[in-house]
Amino acid sequence: MAEYSWPEKPTLLGSAVTRLDGPDKVTGRARYTYDINRPGMIYGRMVRSPFAHARVVSIDLSPAEKAPGVRAVIAWKEPGAQVMYQGDPVAAVAADTEERARDAARLIRVRYEPLPHLASVEQALAADAPAVFPGGNTQTGATDETGDLEAGFAKAAHIVEATYSTHVITHVCLETHGCVCEWDGDKLTAWVSTQGVYPCRIGFADGLKIPQANVRVITQYMGGGFGSKFAPDVQGLICAKLAQQAKAPVKLMLDRKEEHLDTGNRPSAAAHIRAGVTGDGMLTAFDGQSWGTGGAGALSGFPLPYIYNFPIRKRTHKNVFINAGPQRAMRAPGHPQGCFLTEILMDELADRVKMDPVAFRMRNLPPAAPNAMWAEYFTRGAKAFGWDKRHATGDPAPGPIKTGMGVSAHRWGGAGRGSQAHVDIMSDGSVVVKCGTQDIGTGTRTIVAMVAAETLGLPMSAVKPEIGDTMYPFSGGSGGSTTAASVTPAIRVTTVNALDQLFAKVAPTLGAKPEDLVAQGGRIHLKGNASKGVAWKDACRLIGTEPISVDGKWEDGLSGAGTSGVQFAEASVDIETGIVKVTRILAIQDCGLIVDKLTAESQAYGGVIAAINFALFEDRIIDRVTGQMVNPNMEWYLLAGMSDVPTIDIILNNMPERGVIGIGEPPTVSTASAIANAVRNATGATIRSLPLHPHRVLGAIEQQKAGGTN
Amino acid sequence: MKAFAYVNPASEREAVAALKIDGIALPIGGGQDLLARMKDYIDTPDRVVNVKGLDATVTSTPDGGLKIGSAVKIVDLAEHALVAKLYPAVVHAAGEVGTPQIRNQATVGGNVNQRPRCWYFRNEEFVCYKKGGSRCFAENGENQYHAIFGNEGPSHIVHPSSLAVPFVAYGARFRVVGPAGEREVPAADYFTMPTLQNVLRENVLEDEEILTHVILPAPGAIKTGHYEVRYKQSHDWPLAFTTVVLTMNGNTISSARVVLGAVAPVPWRSKPAEAALAGKPLNAQTAAMAAEAAVSEAKPMSGNAYKVQIAKTAVKRAIMQAAGIRTA
Amino acid sequence: MKSAGVTSLATAVTAAGAAETEAQTGPRVVGPGDVPVTLMVNGKRVELRIEPRVTLLDAIRNRADLTGNKRVCDRGTCGACTVIVDGRTVYACSTLAIEVQGKQIRTVEGLSTGNALHPVQQAFCDVDALMCGFCTPGFVVATVAVLEKHPNATREQISRGLDGNVCRCGTFVRIMEAAMKAKGVARG
Repeated sequence: MAEYSWPEKPTLLGSAVTRLDGPDKVTGRARYTYDINRPGMIYGRMVRSPFAHARVVSIDLSPAEKAPGVRAVIAWKEPGAQVMYQGDPVAAVAADTEERARDAARLIRVRYEPLPHLASVEQALAADAPAVFPGGNTQTGATDETGDLEAGFAKAAHIVEATYSTHVITHVCLETHGCVCEWDGDKLTAWVSTQGVYPCRIGFADGLKIPQANVRVITQYMGGGFGSKFAPDVQGLICAKLAQQAKAPVKLMLDRKEEHLDTGNRPSAAAHIRAGVTGDGMLTAFDGQSWGTGGAGALSGFPLPYIYNFPIRKRTHKNVFINAGPQRAMRAPGHPQGCFLTEILMDELADRVKMDPVAFRMRNLPPAAPNAMWAEYFTRGAKAFGWDKRHATGDPAPGPIKTGMGVSAHRWGGAGRGSQAHVDIMSDGSVVVKCGTQDIGTGTRTIVAMVAAETLGLPMSAVKPEIGDTMYPFSGGSGGSTTAASVTPAIRVTTVNALDQLFAKVAPTLGAKPEDLVAQGGRIHLKGNASKGVAWKDACRLIGTEPISVDGKWEDGLSGAGTSGVQFAEASVDIETGIVKVTRILAIQDCGLIVDKLTAESQAYGGVIAAINFALFEDRIIDRVTGQMVNPNMEWYLLAGMSDVPTIDIILNNMPERGVIGIGEPPTVSTASAIANAVRNATGATIRSLPLHPHRVLGAIEQQKAGGTN
Repeated sequence: MKAFAYVNPASEREAVAALKIDGIALPIGGGQDLLARMKDYIDTPDRVVNVKGLDATVTSTPDGGLKIGSAVKIVDLAEHALVAKLYPAVVHAAGEVGTPQIRNQATVGGNVNQRPRCWYFRNEEFVCYKKGGSRCFAENGENQYHAIFGNEGPSHIVHPSSLAVPFVAYGARFRVVGPAGEREVPAADYFTMPTLQNVLRENVLEDEEILTHVILPAPGAIKTGHYEVRYKQSHDWPLAFTTVVLTMNGNTISSARVVLGAVAPVPWRSKPAEAALAGKPLNAQTAAMAAEAAVSEAKPMSGNAYKVQIAKTAVKRAIMQAAGIRTA
Repeated sequence: MKSAGVTSLATAVTAAGAAETEAQTGPRVVGPGDVPVTLMVNGKRVELRIEPRVTLLDAIRNRADLTGNKRVCDRGTCGACTVIVDGRTVYACSTLAIEVQGKQIRTVEGLSTGNALHPVQQAFCDVDALMCGFCTPGFVVATVAVLEKHPNATREQISRGLDGNVCRCGTFVRIMEAAMKAKGVARG
């Protein structure tokens, strides 16, 4: 409806507004789930399988039941059940202090019969692999085919054939998964570190077989999810049951090792690819057989090929199961993988036809569209980045430090919908906006207030946003970069409707009709005549004892779907040590209508840095013999620190005509590929797998010297 | 961690006495290693004995050297002007230890005596030689961070101490106190190559002994170089690092001590590199040649051959640094 | 005895209040059960009865309801638990509460005065140097410490001073901006 559309000349939207909860977070006042201390609260602790694959023979809870301070004990698996990965939950205990809960958990005697396990994709694919998973250790998906492959390759003047791969990484949410569960009779209140209070409510209700109406989920602040926190998970249900048994609130937060083992991961991706290109740089054909592992019984799909126009394509994918923690959605699921497996190939093809990598990409893009802006972004970015100074593959400069540049492109969807909201305007002028969404660090709390303040012509300080509680109107989980597009239209619609009711009360006193009024600058006045009006507080006095109280929901026309972006990277490589240092990143990104420029930029920085970690540092490493993770900590699971972060420039392209689209995920897709291409440009050696650890870089350099990696 | 009793001794004698119990007693310095091991149940002492009250001073010795108390904090060592003047590699190494927060609490004694970072050692599930088991999981496993020298076994750890390497290179001695009295051990003899008999330890310290001082001899007319290669610049363990101490005669190296870190179960003195340096002019060609010699006896494992190149680079650049030649 | 070979996975719980029979001379052995521990936190006395094994971080978070600093890695690698003890940053997770009695402990809660933010905190808010905020208290404390030690810190000094802290949301770029902004702003 036209009256809901975003303002043509916004006062707040698109500007840089500081985060509302900044002061609470920087002072430590913000209470996360990990910080909730309830009266009489006790602590839960889980027992998990140390084995990659085993049968549970027996569970003896009795030593724990007798231990000091213990108030509840639960077995989660039954004798005869199998554990399918190190970390698979087996039992749990709750005690009056954390220390005693840990002591007691270690007393629980579980006997296991170890079974053959698969510690890696190689082992799962081996001809003599043990049959670990019912239905097979692999599962092949349908073949995706367009056109005549051999005809396509016949047209090619050059063919590149190689294998590309990316690795498994874990989410490493700084606040681990967990919750505080408190029963009041048959009603459960759960403070959960979650991306979805509403999905969690369903999860608790289903898992505990209680009515949803008896469950309240609260998340005022949470310390990172990145796609892994949408459900109560096993620890949530266990926490609730321990609390029932103990008749006391229970806090059960996972420790760092559990977090690495059993809260999800980004699946690995690999593909054997054959691709063809004509002499004048047109892609002709793509043939890819891909595979990957999402762990025990979980999938590993990703888009392939990615972005560029291969007119003839064939692609098969095989899911490989291993005895490791199952995957969960991780920031732009599938896209960083598909991007990497395509973008290195693109630079190799560009070299075959002796074309500049940007020019080559521009030659093979799908048609430009508002959600497909790569041509414009490549041009703009190349200029801003100094791409014309890029040398051909292999830095000719003398000395051990070689420098190079790389580029990559990406897309993402978004398309949020369906949130509901409630707005109260009270006779003293105060405004409360309620929505059962959650702020996972993206600034949702702030943009809720921004949209309401914009609509009502008020400063941010006059609007009180209330989120993060299933007591507030429905909103979905915060994932897929859908929150801003789902929530802001609901806030807009509801606030406009509330304002209409206020206009109806004010209009007679100004001798006008409600449709003649606007709310601007803290006043309600006639359109085009600011002096004929009243201050906000005076207007609200007319409300009387019954507040304006309006429910509303998302409507079409205020949001959109589909974003695109490109990124450029510069890296230096010390070829005598194999150490890669990223020196510069430029990210060009759109997200429709930018709501809060400050928090949108932070999302972009965050996505880029996450991808730098993916490219260089983090790696879930499993011992190939025992199937146990060797680095379930933050010492050997490497993450960048301040000295590892390069110069990052962000250009956000505001497209208000497209409505609000999300930005959480797209900026993390391209960076690793751009960096890998920069390393290739620097060293002259093609590295087709991640992470770019010195052993991989030195290996590629050596191979290049010995006869080539191409 | 397992619950433990705690004691705060007021003297060396009290500390040694407090370590004698019916059960396990361990000394705690800065706690930056011990507490993590205890949280992972690699160590489960019944009693923890605070040794931060031991000597925390740096004093000059009559022969022109320095005596460093084991309770000196790494941050204080890293910022010590006299140590920087006499033993620059010690200050360089101290400044690279961990992070500011770690350096603010970790002690010299704790750094020298810390246990390996090997991820099989540090994860409770792997009962390896160093925990009384009968295998080294690195042998057929994930050994990208393990030893490239001294790989006869049984253990393939790399010694984790940053300070041990310059201490060995400068010819330090360690003062040790125990129930039988005090003794001094040359740093080079303090760290032990693993055998089936001694694999539970990385040094000669006995159960009720404590390291009280690091005694450094007068440096003499030397040139020093120290170079570390690590992956993450913010906070990471080194992949390889070196201290070289060159006794000079004009611009000719009369003798050298070349010690490598993060490459072997002990700080690794490279006799081949030292031999290659003796009598040579101090320049870039000599540095490159000595670096080749340093890795000539490397025997990498299945996943860490890349460390040979990195160790070679560390040696070359440390020598170039001693020569005052700019390196990457 | 220092080492005893294999550590049993099912370690026995020490019986509460096990008395150490010690000679009458020599230092007092305390624990393993609860002992009185007094901490000076942000200028206030906090009196606790805790086991010697309780870290400073767990003492302030679980027993004194000072939940500003967070537990993230619990192994002294990520900095979320950074507090200042006698003027120096430490990892509270890698510090025994019993060992910092008599020292001045400053946590993130002690940086602001009433509603007035510390200049570092204000700068973090102004430039949006935070997202989920879980690493933020540790970074704020570490930044305060860097600027107290080097009031005119260079970018290099700030980087090295903050290298003991990790952010997963990727706020490093703006944290550096905040530190540079807060530099030289006099503390009122």
